[in-house]
Amino acid sequence: MSESKLQLLDRPSDATPWSKRSPNFSLIIGLASIFPILLFLVVLNISELSGAGALLTVFLPLQLLAAAIAAIVTRGRRGVADSQLSVFVYFATFFVVIMLGSILVSIASWGLKAVSPHFIYQNNVYITPTTSLDYGGAGHALVGSLLVVGLATLIAVPLGLSVAVYLTETRGRLKGPVRFLAQSMSGLPSIVAGLFVYAVFIATGTANLSGWLGSLALALLMLPTVVRMAEEVLKLVPGDLRSAALALGAPQRRAFFQVIMPTAKAGLITAVLLGVARVVGETAPLILTTRLMSETSFNPFSGDLATLPTFIFSNLTAGFDTGRSRAWAAAFLLLAVVGLIFGATRALTSQKAK
Amino acid sequence: MNTRQVAKGDRAFFAISTAAAIFTMLLVLVVLIFLSVKSWSTFTEQGISFVTGSTWDNTTETGTFQIGPMIVGTIVVSILGLIIAVPASIAVAFFIEFVAPPRLARIATSLVDLLAALPSVVVGIWGIFVLSPVAATWSLSLSNTLSFIPIFRNEFSNAEGAPFIAAWTIAVMIIPIITSVSREVMGRVDKDLISAAIALGSTSFSTMRRIIVPNAKSGILGGILLGLGRALGETVAIFFVLNLVFEINLFQILEPKGGNVASLIIAKFGEATPAELNALMAAGVVLFILTLIVNMIATSIVQRAERRMAS
Amino acid sequence: MTILGDGTMDTKIQNSNIAILDAESHLESRNVHVWFKDRHVLSDVSLQFPTNSVTALIGPSGCGKSTFIRTLNRMHELIPGAGLAGTVYLDNEDIYAPGVDPVSIRLRVGMVFQKPNPFPTMTIKGNVLAGLRLNNRRIKDEESLVESCLNRASIWSEVKDRLDAPAGSLSGGQQQRLCIARSLAMSPEVLLMDEPCSALDPGSTRRIEETIRELSADMTVVIVTHNMQQAQRVSDQTAFFLAEEGEPGHVVEFGATGSLFSAPNDPRTEDYVNGRFG
Repeated sequence: MSESKLQLLDRPSDATPWSKRSPNFSLIIGLASIFPILLFLVVLNISELSGAGALLTVFLPLQLLAAAIAAIVTRGRRGVADSQLSVFVYFATFFVVIMLGSILVSIASWGLKAVSPHFIYQNNVYITPTTSLDYGGAGHALVGSLLVVGLATLIAVPLGLSVAVYLTETRGRLKGPVRFLAQSMSGLPSIVAGLFVYAVFIATGTANLSGWLGSLALALLMLPTVVRMAEEVLKLVPGDLRSAALALGAPQRRAFFQVIMPTAKAGLITAVLLGVARVVGETAPLILTTRLMSETSFNPFSGDLATLPTFIFSNLTAGFDTGRSRAWAAAFLLLAVVGLIFGATRALTSQKAK
Repeated sequence: MNTRQVAKGDRAFFAISTAAAIFTMLLVLVVLIFLSVKSWSTFTEQGISFVTGSTWDNTTETGTFQIGPMIVGTIVVSILGLIIAVPASIAVAFFIEFVAPPRLARIATSLVDLLAALPSVVVGIWGIFVLSPVAATWSLSLSNTLSFIPIFRNEFSNAEGAPFIAAWTIAVMIIPIITSVSREVMGRVDKDLISAAIALGSTSFSTMRRIIVPNAKSGILGGILLGLGRALGETVAIFFVLNLVFEINLFQILEPKGGNVASLIIAKFGEATPAELNALMAAGVVLFILTLIVNMIATSIVQRAERRMAS
Repeated sequence: MTILGDGTMDTKIQNSNIAILDAESHLESRNVHVWFKDRHVLSDVSLQFPTNSVTALIGPSGCGKSTFIRTLNRMHELIPGAGLAGTVYLDNEDIYAPGVDPVSIRLRVGMVFQKPNPFPTMTIKGNVLAGLRLNNRRIKDEESLVESCLNRASIWSEVKDRLDAPAGSLSGGQQQRLCIARSLAMSPEVLLMDEPCSALDPGSTRRIEETIRELSADMTVVIVTHNMQQAQRVSDQTAFFLAEEGEPGHVVEFGATGSLFSAPNDPRTEDYVNGRFG
């Protein structure tokens, strides 16, 4: 009774009957989406309400009402709550996209107007807030930011990794409190970190305003991120791998450096990059611990040093149009740096997934 | 001999990590102690009126330094920011996790994480040039139409620099943070439970209200508190969009009279007298304690939620 | 067979088979095909489920029987990439017709999952009433509904003293019976069970099988099972699903349980029910 083999059929184009709508249903949904928008546009034209005001006071209630009516007609009473939820979710998402999109778009459009090749490599010597944008740039600030953040990374990463090792590889009794306080520190206001460094070094006369003090403050802010991310990554390394290395007679430190760390490498680099992203735009602590200058300096250990955030801050507070344009351009650079860091983490995590 | 060397090496390895851990743990205390020592003179000279009074005067020898309006303003702006950010964030998290098609959801997730790291000075520049003029028109239409409600009254001719606008700026900063955490905990709600609810004939709204929210509640709350911690400590963005006025303003959110501890520090720091500098340190201590309490609550809620999810 | 005591059950099933198969079907699938993305996983399934019958779907893993059962209460469409052709009739109405609210179908066709999934944030009692709460329904006598549902799921005596305890405190077998009680509270016309006993101990399995027999007095039951003895013990009719290499899953044989097991028409069915593969 053997039959011929059953054919594998191609998927027909209408294989999702649940997405089919009856003509009536489509009509009702269409009306429920068009009416509120039309009424909103009319009200916007004849009244003095602002766009957002009308959106909130005219469009949203109307749309909620229309959706509720449409839901009752098509699904009965139990559809009402669903319709309100989806109107609210779409509305809120739309609003958030507009707000956050507006940040990205305005930084890009204002920034690109002022950004030019020389803006990236020139410094700001002989430039005042009113000098034309044809001269000068934020190159010195970019260099300074890299130095300050780099130094902060050199401080925070070994420390943070050691703490993560303590939390994952040892049987220390203080794990709970250490984890708790390290996490609580992630909410340390950045200005308090700056004040702390100021109080310890500058107010006591131990040091003058300089780049490495900024690095200390940033390291303080970076530490919790690195600890938490690194701990999570190390926890993901299978316990078997650990046992296998130890069973071969490797001492724990070798097992860690030669087996566990290489396994978790991509994740650990991601942890570091996220820590960097967290602090690269920090402004307040650098205002308290460094002094902006217009020349390029490669020495974070003494003297003045420009950084991108303080460059933006001072150009904004100076209050001239070209200064503002420079601030936008520098903000664009800063955002590009943050974006690059994130791109790198994405690439690393997707590589790991493979 | 050999084994002893091994043990020695491991001991050093563990000693270093333990030392780092203890150092990190003590760091919070060290920060608190150092700032407290520096600001001790302010606390003793100004007494309790440091946090309750509303005068800031550096022209006399000891000076009068009181940050009552700044504390009130910080809390008002943060809470207003939360009122805007929390519903929006939860809605966006729900959208990403349960409405958006998978590809869009992946992109949105990366974008939200990126925006959570948006530098505050970048938000500040946007806040002052893009948001403020627009939000001022919202503010004016509110005060024109709803001025019979006390909180929407505005006796001034302009609306920029008001807590209302600072709250929008803060909301924009913390929406990605709260969204990121909420999305993650909503995504970790057991899919079997959601299937079970749907099989029982649950609507999307009921599933959200009775299954997703109760199961993700503590994680979402932790995310909200993280956002609150960030809002309380935010400095630069608020500095640009808020007028600092030494007058307690609890309810007139549309009037350009605000206060903010962190912004005060930045605003006064440059030309501070020695006594004033100590007062700013003291303000830092107050801010630190405020955020530390919020963050400790957040951390313990999140850790408890994580333990429960794990079990 | 010893679990059910004697052979009378078998006789009863066989006697009733003919009558059941002739009865007008309550639930029916006609030419159902399923795709996931572009992969054809289930081909041309046409089965009739008469009122108050118990139907077992058997077959090796991956043959599409769990996929099929989810098309019967429109849970299938929630899987990303799911596709479907053909029709499913409930009381002669196409449940996939445009304008049919899937919620209304799921209220009439309940489902019990493979893995017990009580709601951890709710109490035992809360779980039984979960369906009502999720649908914003109020009833007067919650207590007696809870008691009767738990009773029918034969778990009442074990939990009656701790109705307010969290559902997670129950054992796996108890949790599964609680999930059955949770479905019963919605008084469905059809109950779909997707390998309800696969994670359970023999004692719990026996009690759930008893429950299934009792339930069939007032509802239509469709049960997916790996266990051929279980299919023989509880069902009136059986469908044997198979997916051979390079073929979509399909029904090889469908008929009265007694005859399908004792005198299968297809050699593959014979091989399977005699344990030669799968």
